[in-house]
Amino acid sequence: MLRFTLERFAGMVVTMLLVSVMVFLIMEIPPGDYADRYAFRKYSGTGVNVTEADIEAIRRDLGLDKPMLLRYFDWIGGIVLRGDFGQAFAFETSVTKVIGDKVWLTAGILFSTLLLTYLVSIPIGIYAAVRRGSAVDYGLTVFSYLGLALPNFLLALVMLYFANRWFGADIGGLFSDQYRDAPWSLAKAWDMAKHLWLPAVVLAWSAVAYQIQTVRATMSDELNKLSVTAARARGVPEMKLLVKYPARLAINPVVSTIGFDVNRIFSELPIVAVVLGLTELGELLLRAYLDLDMNVAGAILLLLTFAIVFMNFVSDLLLAWLDPRIKLGV
Amino acid sequence: MSKMLSVENLSISFRTDEGVITPVQGVTFSVESGRTLGLVGESGSGKSISTKALMQLLPGSAVLGADSRMTYTDKSGKEIALGHMKHGSKELRRIRGGEIGMIFQEPMASFSPVYTIGNQMMEAIMLHRGLKKREAREYAIEMLNKVGISNAAARVDQYPHELSGGMRQRAMIALTLSAGPALLIADEPTTALDVTIQAQVLDLMRDLQRELGMGMIFITHDLGVIAQIADDVAVMYLGTIVERGPAKEVIRNPQHPYTQGLLDAIPSLDHLHDRLKPVPGDIPSPTARPKGCPFHTRCAQAISGTCDVQEPQETSPLPGRAVRCWLHETKSRSAA
Repeated sequence: MLRFTLERFAGMVVTMLLVSVMVFLIMEIPPGDYADRYAFRKYSGTGVNVTEADIEAIRRDLGLDKPMLLRYFDWIGGIVLRGDFGQAFAFETSVTKVIGDKVWLTAGILFSTLLLTYLVSIPIGIYAAVRRGSAVDYGLTVFSYLGLALPNFLLALVMLYFANRWFGADIGGLFSDQYRDAPWSLAKAWDMAKHLWLPAVVLAWSAVAYQIQTVRATMSDELNKLSVTAARARGVPEMKLLVKYPARLAINPVVSTIGFDVNRIFSELPIVAVVLGLTELGELLLRAYLDLDMNVAGAILLLLTFAIVFMNFVSDLLLAWLDPRIKLGV
Repeated sequence: MSKMLSVENLSISFRTDEGVITPVQGVTFSVESGRTLGLVGESGSGKSISTKALMQLLPGSAVLGADSRMTYTDKSGKEIALGHMKHGSKELRRIRGGEIGMIFQEPMASFSPVYTIGNQMMEAIMLHRGLKKREAREYAIEMLNKVGISNAAARVDQYPHELSGGMRQRAMIALTLSAGPALLIADEPTTALDVTIQAQVLDLMRDLQRELGMGMIFITHDLGVIAQIADDVAVMYLGTIVERGPAKEVIRNPQHPYTQGLLDAIPSLDHLHDRLKPVPGDIPSPTARPKGCPFHTRCAQAISGTCDVQEPQETSPLPGRAVRCWLHETKSRSAA
């Protein structure tokens, strides 16, 4: 297992490196550079005449006249060694300050959505497979199709309405008013947890519907395996038998698509965030693109892709733990 | 020799989309402790279904006949009615594995690929022998040794795919026997193995059965295997037993045309130049069971007007033998 983990870890590092190169190239694509935009932003409307030499001076000051390869190493080196993502020009401050809390809020939404998806879909999928053909099974299938067909910003609106009517609380955003700008504390974290369930439910909805069907299908296959009959024939209690033999293999396709789920959550997050009034990275990313604030955009892109690559690594380890044949290379 | 299992008039039906089919009809047989009953027949003749019914391993769509009786006498001498135990009951779990053990045709598929051999053996040992984990592991190693697996102490931690086919079936035998069953049901345990390995596994099973004094039901389609391992034999065709009796006598002097056909179909080294004589025709589907004697469509000696109209009853043409065939029924009637 150690060797397998190291191999996969090395693979992850290499992937992250390649991804960072791609992100850097994306940052370089828009016309002009930081110096141009800095000068434009600083002096536009002030009547000051900016010459090419002024911009050249800014460029030199910031080290932007260096070759691209060097600038890449400066950029990635700052991130890896000092956690410094460079300057955000739209805000006249560092990228780290701009994205700051949003990173943790996004991570919170991401993990609570993932957790909710798996905690709900896996047991229900297994149950549906065991009770195949029953009324409950058909009911769940209908729910699944509904879940897949419903756009989640619409669901977000509907949920917002009912959450407001039933729970009375102002449920938009991630914090109550008194905590919004308060420093982090246990009370603030608890306040966030109370708000987190709504975006988690909205974002998990379609994934739950989809994963129920996946688990149900693989579980149905696994239940028909001879090894399950053989275990039953040696008197293993049914509940233990279901968990130990078929279920362990049935969740394989769910575990192997954790990375896809992360990706999907990131792509659906911005629109849900707009409806629910959340502050998170996706919305900031869109804004950064519009402002051509490429340092901010690059930082967010890098973090999101790192999250996906890292979750793929986690998924690989979980798969190897679920099915030892994987790490044995059979 | 005491009768440990007696099956009377066992019928099994399945509700399907095409209506009710009955792949097992009125099957009667018994097993004595320390003896082996061979169940022979082509695929689809209802051998496996009958034995699965004993363990309540059939799917929910299966229905047992109202007058079907399966009585099992357990190790303590208590009589138990099989087939009607509550699902999930402790009694049923004790019977499964602890009283009646089952070995299947595919040794690879009967092990779960994601747990070691030892893990799966220890599970059965802890369930049925009440041993602690460490003792169970030692017992598992002992059993692996017993079935002739070399280096058992290392093998116990291996995964099923790390063993060869013959080794896997040996390990499966060790696993099943480690729960201490009094009756062993072996469902074509050697069919998926090479011929040389087959002979070894058969020898092993016979030795272990003698040593442990178990009763055994050995399911196969191969009368040659029956000759090696079974004391008694029951030949099944389309869900009914057409002939039964002591294995040696049935093989030496088969009374039913189907048994005769099966014996003729075995290739022989003495007659290499003769062509094989298969039983003509195909086994009909259980949805289209022929009227009268189920075998009449493939029987060279069928009496038209009798065999295709009414099903023959079981008669006893010789002492200790039983046959379901009009040829014998008319004979015994004309003699009487």
